[in-house]
Amino acid sequence: MSAHVSIGGIPRIGIMESKDEVIRKRLLIDGDGAGDDRRINLLVKSFIKWCNSGSQEEGYSQYQRMLSTLSQCEFSMGKTLLVYDMNLREMENYEKIYKEIECSIAGAHEKIAECKKQILQAKRIRKNRQEYDALAKVIQHHPDRHETLKELEALGKELEHLSHIKESVEDKLELRRKQFHVLLSTIHELQQTLENDEKLSEVEEAQETSMEADPKP
Amino acid sequence: MTIFSQSVSPCGKFLAAGNNYGQIAVFSLSAALSSEAKEESKKPVVTFQAHDGPVYSMVSTDRHLLSAGDGEVKAWLWAEILKKGCKELWRRQPPYRTSLEVPEINALLLVPKENSLILAGGDCQLHAMDLETGAFTRALRGHTDYIHCLALRERSPEVLSGGEDGAVRLWDLRTAKEVQTIEVYKHEECSRPHNGRWIGCLATDSDWMVCGGGPALTLWHLRSSTPTTIFPMRAPQKHVTFYQDLILSAGQGRCVNQWQLSGELKAQVPGSSPGLLSLSLNQQPAAPECKVLTAAGNSCRVDVFTNLGYRAFSLSF
Repeated sequence: MSAHVSIGGIPRIGIMESKDEVIRKRLLIDGDGAGDDRRINLLVKSFIKWCNSGSQEEGYSQYQRMLSTLSQCEFSMGKTLLVYDMNLREMENYEKIYKEIECSIAGAHEKIAECKKQILQAKRIRKNRQEYDALAKVIQHHPDRHETLKELEALGKELEHLSHIKESVEDKLELRRKQFHVLLSTIHELQQTLENDEKLSEVEEAQETSMEADPKP
Repeated sequence: MTIFSQSVSPCGKFLAAGNNYGQIAVFSLSAALSSEAKEESKKPVVTFQAHDGPVYSMVSTDRHLLSAGDGEVKAWLWAEILKKGCKELWRRQPPYRTSLEVPEINALLLVPKENSLILAGGDCQLHAMDLETGAFTRALRGHTDYIHCLALRERSPEVLSGGEDGAVRLWDLRTAKEVQTIEVYKHEECSRPHNGRWIGCLATDSDWMVCGGGPALTLWHLRSSTPTTIFPMRAPQKHVTFYQDLILSAGQGRCVNQWQLSGELKAQVPGSSPGLLSLSLNQQPAAPECKVLTAAGNSCRVDVFTNLGYRAFSLSF
């Protein structure tokens, strides 16, 4: 059932009711019809009265009255038509707004899905960053690799230097030992020679004394 | 009542919780999260007696729910579980050394690439079971005390296990050998001798690992075996997991703690149980509307957090 336009200000029946209901309610509410309906009925009655009337002035005034009632009816009909047009245009306007809102809802849904994906991505990035930070903290506790390498190099050089010194000291020691050995062996030889000489001189003396003792007898 | 374990169904719409009486309750997450949720939606859809002892651990494959507790692992079909009087599909017991005392199974881990299940618990070994044949393929020995928790390092693939002896051991599944050992209590930055040396929870992100328990909750870089960040939480943590750029942990104390990798506490969201033992994140792609964090522990309630910032409501056993 289409929507009924309000005639004469009294809202007629709503959308869902059947034709019988419409007729029944209209008959109940106003037998003759209020406002426009009554006016049309009165016009018809006054037309009939005017046709049956006699005198000229009465007829003329009745005629004027009928004309005015007719123009009132026309006016109210024009008004109703305009209202109907307005309602149609309002409906179109609302349909348009409804569609726009639907579009923007769909757009908002898509944006929400997009943002959710971005949130997941951002959370992953945050997690990676925090993992990196955690490892970096642990690594910071250990000393820097460059420094340790430098220390290692310095220690290596020191070791080399010290081993050189050790070698040279050892060489010196060897040399001195050899020299002492030579000295000591020369002394021994000298000692031996001196002893030998002494022995020889003792033997010679003994021979001399024995030779002196012999020629006497 | 204590709820020890939780597991989300492969369709993402149901949550199973196992308690210390051996019962498993299945809650409908989609009903409880929908706008017409009433009080009955926060009750289980079905509850059944699964084990004789507590259900310490549960995992879900794409068709089955595997639950373990008192030395046996049982499988249930998710499609059948909602009907009353559900029977287990199969039950297996790993080959224990002594048949007198059946040690409990504390942790289950699925290795999807090999289609196998790893069980670990009171007998200090990790048992690998092939899910197709049901045969126990390997037993990894190395721990000296019972094992609390398992984690899978996807890239290698390696399995991490943490236990009462204070060491986190990494095992290579192909060679069945121990690849790396990290003795957490020996590092002074994180050890807390007054709490003990037990490792209660493990989570790994391939390059990084978080573990906690007796020693403080610490983030480790696995390649160099160095502890990088220590999270300042006094209470021992019982469950930890990586989520996006955060680390979520829960333990003694009502709150689910959210940490950033740098060691800062981002948020502490209180739950309704005085202590929490397990966290479960429903990230099944089939049910994005049921994407929630659930926490359960020393009470009959499972807290549901729809947004990590606050507790939305609680399901109750």
